[in-house]
Amino acid sequence: MTVVARTWNRLTLPGKVVFTVVPLLVVLAVALVVALALFGEAVLEILGANLPIVRFAVAATAILLMTIPTAFLIIYMEMKGIALMNLRIGPDRVGPFGSLLSVVHGLKVLMKEDFTPTGADPTVFTLAPVVVYLSAVMALLVIPFGPGLFGVDMNIALLYFFAVGGLTVVGLLMGGWASFNKYSLLGGLRSAAQIISYEIPLTLSVVGVLILAGTMSLNQLVQNQAGWFTDWYIWQQPLGALIFFIAATAEANRTPFDLTEADSEIVAGFATEYSGMRFGFFFFAEYVNVFIVSALMVTLFFGGWNAPFPFPATSLELDPASLGIGLLLLIAIVPVVATLVFAAPFWLLRPAWPAWYGLVIGFVLFNLVAVAAVVGWAYVSFDWVAGLVWFLVKTYFFVFVFVWMRGTLPRVRIDQLMNFAWKWLMELAFINIFITAGAILVIDALSSGS
Amino acid sequence: MSFVPGLGIVKGMALTLRRFFEPKVTVRYPEVKADVPPKFRGRLQLLYDEYGTIKCETCFQCAQACPIECIDMGGIDTKGRYHVHWGAPETYGERREESALRRSGRPVPDAAYAHFEPIDLGPVDAVLEEHDHDPAHMLAILEGTQAAYGYLPVAALKRISHRTGAWYATIYGTATYYRHLHFEPPGDTVQRADAAERRPGDAAYVDALSAAIGGRVH
Repeated sequence: MTVVARTWNRLTLPGKVVFTVVPLLVVLAVALVVALALFGEAVLEILGANLPIVRFAVAATAILLMTIPTAFLIIYMEMKGIALMNLRIGPDRVGPFGSLLSVVHGLKVLMKEDFTPTGADPTVFTLAPVVVYLSAVMALLVIPFGPGLFGVDMNIALLYFFAVGGLTVVGLLMGGWASFNKYSLLGGLRSAAQIISYEIPLTLSVVGVLILAGTMSLNQLVQNQAGWFTDWYIWQQPLGALIFFIAATAEANRTPFDLTEADSEIVAGFATEYSGMRFGFFFFAEYVNVFIVSALMVTLFFGGWNAPFPFPATSLELDPASLGIGLLLLIAIVPVVATLVFAAPFWLLRPAWPAWYGLVIGFVLFNLVAVAAVVGWAYVSFDWVAGLVWFLVKTYFFVFVFVWMRGTLPRVRIDQLMNFAWKWLMELAFINIFITAGAILVIDALSSGS
Repeated sequence: MSFVPGLGIVKGMALTLRRFFEPKVTVRYPEVKADVPPKFRGRLQLLYDEYGTIKCETCFQCAQACPIECIDMGGIDTKGRYHVHWGAPETYGERREESALRRSGRPVPDAAYAHFEPIDLGPVDAVLEEHDHDPAHMLAILEGTQAAYGYLPVAALKRISHRTGAWYATIYGTATYYRHLHFEPPGDTVQRADAAERRPGDAAYVDALSAAIGGRVH
């Protein structure tokens, strides 16, 4: 047996996949660059002719990449937020205020042994986290982040969202079944039961909004809510929003409905046998789900990317090119001068400090001001930046509410969970639909009669 | 009025939000040391030597030095003869036992625990016979004994304990409770001379003091 063959045999299945796919990708990338250099114009022409496909590919890649920092940010928010609510400090070692700790967690998960139990079905076992993660990412495709900032503008976006979001259950069941462990299987069935039960009130709670808006396109829904914050659907559908929020909490497996990973009861549920990055993907998917659920909450009930008040239309007439050679001087001089200006008060007021303290603080302050200026300029100049800012602010507010709830509420029992879904939420959702439909009928009759 | 659904959740969320902004209690240990009281001694625990046996020799030095007398200990003394204890009197009656006190370097303060001289036990036996060896009549027995000897000799108390079956500690407790029972023979002058001999500075000090304040000290 040669050295190569022995090394190859020692690799785990994911290792074999990685060691074949990565060199292949490198070769392909090199070939692509060469091909672009040779037939660049022709390729551009073809791409231009198939713009929708290109747009879709770019959007899908962007969303796939976007989930990583999003998950890191939400994990950090959760660690820090819950720590602060527990009167602890929380992460404070890696990076400013410990903000890089979630990245360290990601690296740690990558370096751990990726173990497949004997008797497990390796294909299904490996595919399960992929299915869970991709269902989350695919659901993100239809969320409008800003005017023009969306993957696909479907006319059945909401339906698509619930359909693809429901694929999570398939992934969980795959993981539970393929683990070759009865506890995993029980955990998988349990989380499937939970998610399917809450899917019903979740979907029904949205019907009120659909009746009001008459469309399923999320983009259209957001545009319907433009104007003042009184135009948001939350004022017409408070009950629907409440039901949606509760059901979405269960859908994203968050406290108080996080029975899927109730480690005190069923070790880790469907994830018992998972380790390494496959386990990491389950948790990535969970945090992406938190983001998605918050985003959908904002989109449906809180105006999406609309500002809460009509922003007075302003435009900055900036033409940097008119400065000519002065622009170069400005770029060279302004950072130095601004740093010194910001450092001056510290030198004057704190003479005991070493001089470089003031310099560092001045430089950091200058950077903050510069970033704020650039963001402010972008906010005023570009529609989509303003939309994105408002959308992210609102979404992260709801992410914080999820973290807040996790810091406050204890976990419910499985029977309480089921009772609540079937005996309360579903009925309330039906009542909500009837009231909304009735109100619309009455208003229509009144307006046509007069 | 009393029950609003979800009110508890709202209250809890308000509590955690308040906590969110409150000052934190964490002490960043290696950089910041917690402020401990000056007499804090940490956790008491026995160390093992390289042979895996406990290093403690039951020397009671730690118990002796303990400022708040919180150390209870028991063990075999170094010669392997006696089981000795140190601890709060409620826990270990042996604490004031002679051997423990001697080993701890303290004077044996209590005549009841001093080595007792053998005495003629005839009068005690007579008293016990009179009261039918009944521990319920302990006070009468003790009074009779004191009447017979003039005081309560330790040997007599041990005899009473043996004969009546009452615990020595109980008899000792009964005897110390009543003011009219005492363990010392009624020879006050002898004792005072003893004290003067032990502390020779005393006489001179008392003289100087009475001279200073006009002869009112005796």
